[in-house]
Amino acid sequence: MKEKRKGPLSRAAGLAEGMANTVRRMQREREPRVLVYDPAGYARLIQPEARGQDRIMDVAEEMLTLVAGRE
Amino acid sequence: MADTLTPERAAERLRGLSADVRAAVLLDAAGSLAGASDDDHDHARELAELARRLFEEVDRATRDWDTEPPEQVEVQIPGGAVFASRTPRWTLAAVAKRGALSSLLLYDLRAVLGELEGGPPIRRSASVPVTGGEDLPMPELGAQ
Repeated sequence: MKEKRKGPLSRAAGLAEGMANTVRRMQREREPRVLVYDPAGYARLIQPEARGQDRIMDVAEEMLTLVAGRE
Repeated sequence: MADTLTPERAAERLRGLSADVRAAVLLDAAGSLAGASDDDHDHARELAELARRLFEEVDRATRDWDTEPPEQVEVQIPGGAVFASRTPRWTLAAVAKRGALSSLLLYDLRAVLGELEGGPPIRRSASVPVTGGEDLPMPELGAQ
């Protein structure tokens, strides 16, 4: 089947959608979270409501603050 | 002879591999500081203590999981991220800039620990130096 050729407006909309998706993905990746990886490299999220997740976040924040204070 | 990576230089090596690493520390199996990217020993010890606590908290949070103990951890926080990786002998932790690529950093952490454990040195891309006077073979366009 012959693919319908896209016009300039349609191409621009496609480009904008792609960029918006990239930005959304980058924002999602930077959301506060704790991921752990097993020896095979499989990732698992420690849910925000899970026991101990807040303490892990606290320790990481302390590390970041310590390093930021030195810069 | 290849340059052997020592524990003292491992954290600095990691920082050399990734421009996103702001600071890194290496801990031995006892949780003591074995190397740091920072020259300030007190500061490095404080960071090492926090890195030790990080895995302690991770182990506590995941102890009921029906899986092997985590080998690596990634914590994304506003303003940056913390990554850590461990082997039975070493723990390497890094504080990274916001937006650092997780997969690359986790790979670098594992690669540095692997090299420290006696694995092959990390290969870096580098141009081959041209020795004096030798011409590189040039392909001839149109040649049969």
